[in-house]
Amino acid sequence: MALQVYTASLLKEGLVAYLSLEDGSPSWTADIRQATAGHGELLDSLKAAAEKSAQDNLVVAPYAIDVLETDAGWMASTKREQIRAEGPTIRLPQDKSRESRRAA
Amino acid sequence: MDNYIKDRKPDHDEWMPFTGLEEGSSLPSGDIYVPLEEWLQARETLLARNGRLGVAVRNTDNLGILKDDLERLDLVVLEFPKMADGRAFSQARLLRERYGFKGEIRATGDILHDQLFYMQRCGINGFEIREDQDISSSLKAFDEMTITYQPACDEEFPIWRREK
Amino acid sequence: MYQYSEQDHQLLLERVEQFRGQVQRRLSGQLSEDEFKHQRLRNGLYLQLHAYMLRVAIPYGLLSSDQMRTLAHIARKYDKGYGHFSTRQNIQYNWPKLEDVPDILDDLASVEMHAIQTSGNCIRNTTSDPLAGVSRDELEDPRPYCELIRQWSTFHPEFNFLPRKFKIAVSGAAHDRAAVAVHDIGLRLIKNAEGETGFEVHVGGGLGRTPMIGKVIRTFLPKQDMLTYLEAILRVYNLLGRRDNLYKARIKILVHETGEEKFRELVEEEWQKIKASGLFLRDEDLTWIKGFFKDPEYETLPDRDAEFENLLLSNADFARWVDKNVELHKQSGYRIVYLSLKTAHQPPGDVTADQMDAIADLSDRYSLGQIRTTHRQNLVLSDVRLQDLPALWGELTALDLATPNYNHVTDIISCPGLDYCALATARSIPISQALTNRFDDYDYVNDLGDISINISGCINACGHHHVANIGILGVNKKGIEVYQLTLGGSAREDASIGKIIGPAFEADQIVDAVSDVLAVYLENREDPEETFLATYRRLGEAPFKERLYG
Ligand code: HEM
Ligand code: SF4
Repeated sequence: MALQVYTASLLKEGLVAYLSLEDGSPSWTADIRQATAGHGELLDSLKAAAEKSAQDNLVVAPYAIDVLETDAGWMASTKREQIRAEGPTIRLPQDKSRESRRAA
Repeated sequence: MDNYIKDRKPDHDEWMPFTGLEEGSSLPSGDIYVPLEEWLQARETLLARNGRLGVAVRNTDNLGILKDDLERLDLVVLEFPKMADGRAFSQARLLRERYGFKGEIRATGDILHDQLFYMQRCGINGFEIREDQDISSSLKAFDEMTITYQPACDEEFPIWRREK
Repeated sequence: MYQYSEQDHQLLLERVEQFRGQVQRRLSGQLSEDEFKHQRLRNGLYLQLHAYMLRVAIPYGLLSSDQMRTLAHIARKYDKGYGHFSTRQNIQYNWPKLEDVPDILDDLASVEMHAIQTSGNCIRNTTSDPLAGVSRDELEDPRPYCELIRQWSTFHPEFNFLPRKFKIAVSGAAHDRAAVAVHDIGLRLIKNAEGETGFEVHVGGGLGRTPMIGKVIRTFLPKQDMLTYLEAILRVYNLLGRRDNLYKARIKILVHETGEEKFRELVEEEWQKIKASGLFLRDEDLTWIKGFFKDPEYETLPDRDAEFENLLLSNADFARWVDKNVELHKQSGYRIVYLSLKTAHQPPGDVTADQMDAIADLSDRYSLGQIRTTHRQNLVLSDVRLQDLPALWGELTALDLATPNYNHVTDIISCPGLDYCALATARSIPISQALTNRFDDYDYVNDLGDISINISGCINACGHHHVANIGILGVNKKGIEVYQLTLGGSAREDASIGKIIGPAFEADQIVDAVSDVLAVYLENREDPEETFLATYRRLGEAPFKERLYG
């Protein structure tokens, strides 16, 4: 049975987040590799925690996605979810001024 | 208190929906409204009664068939089965502007804060607000915006033809 | 351009306050996501793959330099330093935070801009010819009519909950640069036998899942009747348009299912009853609105310039740019300049904040302080003096906005696709970049001549692939991104829907496939004047199919 993690968008920022459940206490991370993956009962508790976060207006529209295990940690199994996890696959337009501001 | 607004104020709903009219059966007294088909079938019986009359229409009905009856009616009930289903906005304008209906035009169904401003502009003046909605906050919707561009039931002319 | 009245300003401020309240209620938990979604979607705010996305309206694609600076400011302060100009002449930001959106709307309102009706099932931003008012083939400036439509449609109380989104385009020239045939309503200004100008009314065009070319519902509509006629069409649509199936809800399906003849009767019957109403446009109303779009005070200039001509002869790059990106102006001594947003380095339609600021400055110095956006995702400086072209070219080159490719093979339309869009089935930007890299050779681009390639990342067709000479549609086939090729579409006055040529190609084959198609064209055209589309129409799909699939 495939392992799944819970993902959603953060209400305030709109950014992608993954649910991590440590000793029963939930937190949302931008890094899919830090997410808690599971199936069966663990997945049920992930689902409950995710829905609670939605009710508490922390996140929007949580859902479960399939993940694969790699050396670096969890990786989403579909292209769509990989792009969601990693960001656009193209170089974002960037001004030189902005690049130098970043570097500074 | 009903979740009912009439002419921009919370109000008590006097009207009773009535359906299942059969030959010879006795009609209730008071103000009742019936589905359009029953009105068309039993017009005379209904008119013989004391008390005000209304008709409930579906948003797919062509209101042209009611136009000669409107003088006898005090209420037309329109339906908004889902918020996104805006057919009855057009029906309301036709009732007011084309057929000159003077009685209450009532919105029923999925009625939320957001539609109220537009509904009143289309001539709707009775609102059965969805049960879970807070009526005092809904009342604010009527005045949220003060500028309108186009003619509707409240304005004959577009903004560029009005007195400045 | 149109100047806001006090009331126009007031309306925007009220709208921002209303939305600020809604955002606050959402953040504090008083509004659920379901309830809030309706509200944000009435304000152009989507939740996309990575973040919120805000769509800002640019009415009929016309921007002042101050508005462009504000767009740059927003990109810098609230986003990641860039924006995306869309096929509907609007701009989209890909990374705003929900809590910042009311402030963004405030900044927009300060320069008479907003996000009203940029999403949702209402009348959307009216689009038009980016060369309105300056082109030589124009009968009449369409912008006054667009502005009247903007006012009429803004918060229209009857038409805010339509069966589906509704898009109107207006064109006033012989050549259609506004794609009127693929809009829910397309209005084309024409002259009748008596020499009066009025509208040819197209209804029921659209792309998406079921692409259709609009039908001419009325061959001549007097201008005075424009708004009453639109109101009649919208009323018929609001009452009769299908609401049982999202994919059948556009007006194109209503026109198709009702039949053109019957639909016309319904509209005409409704119109007869309202044609004398308050929406009738009197001569003084038209005079008033046209007053906002008067010609600027052009200088009297010769249509020649020595420095310009010298550079044309001595500098091949300049000559190429003039040949491809500069067009004649109705006024002697002036030219229209296209700013190409199509390079291999940036996604089609994307502009950085610094570029926006620089474009605003260039428009102030060289083009009367205005910029237009085009439906092919480029920008236009509409009033450049011939003598200023050398200097402007130098500055545009430095900004990477002078690629000589307008309406050529690398002038590719692309929707955001799976890199940004939650509905996407495949990526589109990387394909546009791969094509651009492959074909980025001036002589080849030049030889191919007038041609269009459009890419969409899913069947919704935001990238207009159906009406491209070569259309590419990204699809997900068992988890793999594959690309379907359509040939023979056109979005111009000879509008047509392209035909799928055969089975889809994988990402690493699609560039070769397009290359093959181009080769078949070059081998078979009668002479260099015969465009790709003309050759395709003459030969049909057979030789292309043969080359692609053997
Ligand atoms: C990223 C968020 C976007 C979403 C969620 C979205 C969604 C959609 C959907 C669902 C349709 C099909 C509508 C229908 O057939 O009923 C559509 C059509 C369209 N969209 Fe988008 N779109 C997005 C971005 C864009 C962008 C970036 C552009 C411009 C580049 C654009 C321009 C269009 C156009 C021109 C159409 C075709 C209109 C027609 O069907 O007649 N959209 N969009
Ligand atoms: S065509 Fe599809 S993928 Fe592209 S922007 Fe539209 S909805 Fe998104």
